[in-house]
Amino acid sequence: MLSFDIVIVGAGGAGMMAALAASEGNDLKVAVLSKIYPTRSHTGAAQGGINAALGNRDSSDTVEKHFRDTVKGSDFLADQDAVEFFTSNMPNIINELDYYGVPFSRDENGRVAQRPFGGASSPRTCYSADKTGHVILHTLYEQCLKNNVKFFDEWFLLSLAVEDGKLDGLVAMDIRSGEIYPIQAKSVVIATGGFGRIYWNRTTNAINMTGDGTAACFDVGIPLKDPEFVQFHPTGLASTGILLSEACRGEGGYLLNKDGERFMARYAPEKMELAPRDLVSRAIETEIKEGRGFGEGIGAYVLMDLRHLGEKKILKRLPQVRELALDFEGVDLIKEPVPIRPSCHYMMGGIHVTDYKTCRTPIEGIHAAGECSCISIHGANRLGGNSVADVVLFGKFAGLGARETAKQRSFGSGRKVRKEADKWIKTFEYMRKKPKGNNLITIRNKMAETMWNNVGIFRTEKEMVEALETINQLLEDYKDAYIGDSSVRYNMAFINYVEIGNLLKLAKAVTIGAIHRKESRGSHSRGDYPKRDDKNYLKHTLIYNNGDHYTLDYLPVKITKYQPEERKY
Amino acid sequence: MEKVICRIKRYDGVKEWYQEYDLPYEKGKTILWALTKIREELDPTLTFSSGCRHAICGSCAVRVNGNAFLACKTSLDHLLSTFETHRLTFEPLNNFKVIRDLVVDWKPKFEKMKEVKPWLIPSKDGDKSNGFRQSAKDFHKISSPTDCILCGVCASECNQLSLNQDEYLDPFILNKAYRFAVDSRDAAPEEHIRPILENGLWKCFHCMQCVSKCPKEIDLASENAYLRQATMNMGERANKGARHAYAFVEDVKNKGRLNEVTLPLKTEGFINTMSRIPFAFRLIKKGKINPFHLPKAVEGIQEVRKIYEFAQGEKES
Repeated sequence: MLSFDIVIVGAGGAGMMAALAASEGNDLKVAVLSKIYPTRSHTGAAQGGINAALGNRDSSDTVEKHFRDTVKGSDFLADQDAVEFFTSNMPNIINELDYYGVPFSRDENGRVAQRPFGGASSPRTCYSADKTGHVILHTLYEQCLKNNVKFFDEWFLLSLAVEDGKLDGLVAMDIRSGEIYPIQAKSVVIATGGFGRIYWNRTTNAINMTGDGTAACFDVGIPLKDPEFVQFHPTGLASTGILLSEACRGEGGYLLNKDGERFMARYAPEKMELAPRDLVSRAIETEIKEGRGFGEGIGAYVLMDLRHLGEKKILKRLPQVRELALDFEGVDLIKEPVPIRPSCHYMMGGIHVTDYKTCRTPIEGIHAAGECSCISIHGANRLGGNSVADVVLFGKFAGLGARETAKQRSFGSGRKVRKEADKWIKTFEYMRKKPKGNNLITIRNKMAETMWNNVGIFRTEKEMVEALETINQLLEDYKDAYIGDSSVRYNMAFINYVEIGNLLKLAKAVTIGAIHRKESRGSHSRGDYPKRDDKNYLKHTLIYNNGDHYTLDYLPVKITKYQPEERKY
Repeated sequence: MEKVICRIKRYDGVKEWYQEYDLPYEKGKTILWALTKIREELDPTLTFSSGCRHAICGSCAVRVNGNAFLACKTSLDHLLSTFETHRLTFEPLNNFKVIRDLVVDWKPKFEKMKEVKPWLIPSKDGDKSNGFRQSAKDFHKISSPTDCILCGVCASECNQLSLNQDEYLDPFILNKAYRFAVDSRDAAPEEHIRPILENGLWKCFHCMQCVSKCPKEIDLASENAYLRQATMNMGERANKGARHAYAFVEDVKNKGRLNEVTLPLKTEGFINTMSRIPFAFRLIKKGKINPFHLPKAVEGIQEVRKIYEFAQGEKES
């Protein structure tokens, strides 16, 4: 049986930082599994930047201000001890990345350049033009190559195996050969990213953001924390949902309705377009709802106007953004405003992490970092530029944490992981030969439509209860799904089948969490409970998977310094 | 036009075949749209890879009618009008091993990439706790090469690579070496450049396919020119490529034109040139070269030499 001291699942920013930290000293056997190639990971899509209070652009900026902005942005649901740890370590991380070779844009003094971002009281977002995530991802991969990190590319996590409440190992498929392997490990780091694909096409996420690691943790009894908090990015391209960076607003872009009005004046008169994402998303949807958008139905939109920045600035600061608008919306934003609409962007919730310093979960041996996890530093709403920061910083600490765990533990019996692998081998065989059944694409599309319409930007009890019924029905339909590809080699139809199963489980958890949170906070906005309710809901949701039946629990929020106050911009 | 015929090269690990799928024409759609539609509505066994759908992950490069494109950002309308046909042939990238249908194997490429030490060898000006200072101008030098998304389009189009998989490095690997060689934070540019020299740096055909097809418009040809100059500055002049370059420079400086008779001698040396005598005879016979033609200096040779002096001055200043 394959065995490693540490297995890291996912090779994005968090996974590769974890790999670098875990393989320090070369004394432990470390492997990284990725269902794609590392440089294809979704960290690469992050455009705008990475937050750290370096004070390069604004010397009055401090770690303290970053701390406060993050807590306020989270609508006071973030755990403040974790946020403080995060913000105070970030300046070091930037220097480390610089030392690794990240090509940061520079200011006139040769220091890392910084730009303003939504919800931040100082310009503290470090960047590399508008390809920040891309260059960080590639740099981390380079460092991993340098350190001879062992990569298993195109290996797909099927499930985790837990025996007596402790990690025994994991089961993964080598996609190319179709072989399914049990793998023993003393510790794992789950770093598999978000699951925005529960909204399928109305998301900025890559096609493979299906929450495989989150679902695997959920299945072995780790609760999902705060899954109802789904961030909608205000500026997705109207026709595809593809992301236009927040840097557009950071650089001074205007949002206009069909009357040519800068409508943000109504919602955030001081911050205008630089208000946080949840506020701007709702503002746009409200404009559309009240008839001040262009077009109708799912195709409705407002405009983002960058023309006043001038050609030179656009080409220098936002070259990729311009290209995206040209290629995917057919608009040259030097000459015309571009149609935009909110698009699902980020999951604040995820795998319940119980200790931010080691990123461990309630199950011994399992650690998690990045978007798949909930530590929680983003609370009810994440600030732009805090996500790449989150992945590199907590990726590193998860790697160190997994190292400690691996040193303290010995291998499990291997019985559970072998049994689990046998189960998957049978499932694969069965699905390959199954001659008919329900269409997976139909199931997936129905899920996405339901989630977008009923558990989207605006939510009410009635609609969400309907959504839950639909998702439950789809979970039933899924049991008799048909994949239509009998081959062993590179069977993407089977991979998609497992992915859609993961999405359905997570969509159900999002819906249940949202139904039970009878208040509006951050990205979770309810028409029937429009106010934030600290008395009853200043707490984290925990959802447990007990088979078909999910159970709910709550956990207090850690408040150290900043008492909840009304969030105004 | 009512329909688009997609003719796709299939491979299941054993056999290869072409399979046709008809799609209704829709305005403004991409290659990736077509592939996805086929997989979801017509044939779930069709295998290809894609990720971000907005030209940053590099997963979805394929060949259409013999040319490599990034599927997500290339519109079908563009292809239909370029090739003036409604029948498009899809094939996996060239110069890669195919795994299944349109999916290719990247593993050997990443292994090969390690040759050039594709990571920063940090100079003493920085450290892990303070990072570096780097001027905006120096950032600018690495800005374009770090746009590379490792999609493999350049490798697919590379004609030298088609002949020479084992002794030539893919254009994106050259780009990686260049990216670190010009990074002001790197302490050892030669360590990135030397492996390129040892792996056929001078073999590039200048066909420019990599440059014209790169979806990120990276100027790989200029990077290649830089790397060649850098090797000569490193003192690596005892090779055909460098000698050829110097022969050009000297001939033009002396006469304002090339002397095609002496060029092979200067490039390949006496012995190697002798081995080409039969070939030279055939050329003479066909009237392609005239061994008795010893070119005189062109009119205005003084002006040519002034250009040299000027360029030399620029370089030194």
